[in-house]
Amino acid sequence: MSDTFQSDAWPPEDRDDLLAAEYVLGVLPAPERQAVAKRAELEGALQERIAAWENRLALLNAAYEDGPVSPEVFPRVEAALFGGDEAPAPAGRRRFGWLWLTGTLVAAVLALAVVIWPQFPPQPAELVARLDGGALVFEARFDGALLQIDRSGPGAAEGQDYQLWAIGEDGVPRSLGLLRGDHEALATDAIGPGVTLAVSLEPEGGSPGDLPTGPVLAAAPLTSL
Amino acid sequence: MTVDQISLLLQRVAGGDRSAFEALYAASAAKLSGVLTRILGNRAEVDDAMQEVFIRVWQRSAQYRPERGAGMSWLIAVARNHALDRLRARPERAGFRQEVARDEDGQDPLDRVADKAAGAEAGLIAEGEARRVVDCFDELENDRALAIKGAYLQGISYLDLAERHGVPLNTMRTWLRRGLLRLRECLDR
Repeated sequence: MSDTFQSDAWPPEDRDDLLAAEYVLGVLPAPERQAVAKRAELEGALQERIAAWENRLALLNAAYEDGPVSPEVFPRVEAALFGGDEAPAPAGRRRFGWLWLTGTLVAAVLALAVVIWPQFPPQPAELVARLDGGALVFEARFDGALLQIDRSGPGAAEGQDYQLWAIGEDGVPRSLGLLRGDHEALATDAIGPGVTLAVSLEPEGGSPGDLPTGPVLAAAPLTSL
Repeated sequence: MTVDQISLLLQRVAGGDRSAFEALYAASAAKLSGVLTRILGNRAEVDDAMQEVFIRVWQRSAQYRPERGAGMSWLIAVARNHALDRLRARPERAGFRQEVARDEDGQDPLDRVADKAAGAEAGLIAEGEARRVVDCFDELENDRALAIKGAYLQGISYLDLAERHGVPLNTMRTWLRRGLLRLRECLDR
């Protein structure tokens, strides 16, 4: 690749759309392809462009003919998703991936708490968590009533919101609210040691249901100072 | 248009319904296997990829938006993206690159779609839409339309396309991008 491609030779309003089209077509080399996928995870507008191209080209899907299906595939999928400890961990790393991880973390924190419990002072200790999502980091501090969250990194794109979740022992995420400013203070009693905090990217106004719908950007368990 | 069963199943899967997941697999496994086989061209890898694709379908089903498109189109997008990630991760050396002679069998994949509106029948796209998409591809220069279709269906990269057409990579990219802009202009008209 000796000649360099001049993407700025294209009208600015077309650049992202052409990139989305190239991503959907699949013509990009691996590094560029990964860069587009990574951007789309955080940018709702790029996601929309990709979805629009997927729909424009969807008719071509009719040209795919049916292929052979091995009887071993579905049992392996089920074992990976729902199987016991002996099943391989899911290759994906989204929602259920971190729920599984959360369960492990919760178990570990609880085990630790049982071992060292008598040494704890009776009053609630201050809990902290650092949710590190790379360029996006949330620092959480809980004093027993108020949860303070400081954000460093970009705000959510237009039409999207960051949403904060608490995941307790049952592994079910419960919404604590939206994180719109650099600093948020949320009153809550749904938090204690062993609870994991997670931030997901949601449509503006938050997840339409009771559970996160978008990618998880960062997560970490609350620990005592 | 008939009810989009795949879409309904996907929405139940998003709620954690395992029996809906099994029904979804039964209804779509053959088609997705066809997509993976066409792009990866390697049976052993297809089984492995099928497993990963359906794990992703379960995990990401909540991201499916029925108002954005047909359920099967969403499933195929998940399968294509996974297959393309695998394909692009392969070393780009002779012998490792995808075998790409198959699209030169002279058959235009859109021909039968235009005749039978197969896309609409398969629930991939509304009937009126199918005709429009075919017309828009017809408006493109023939080799540009073929390059776009070949890239989409088989995962042919810019590098492969440039080699095949005997032009520098960036000439190829500029040429294809102009085709994409014209296609968009026609489809969004």
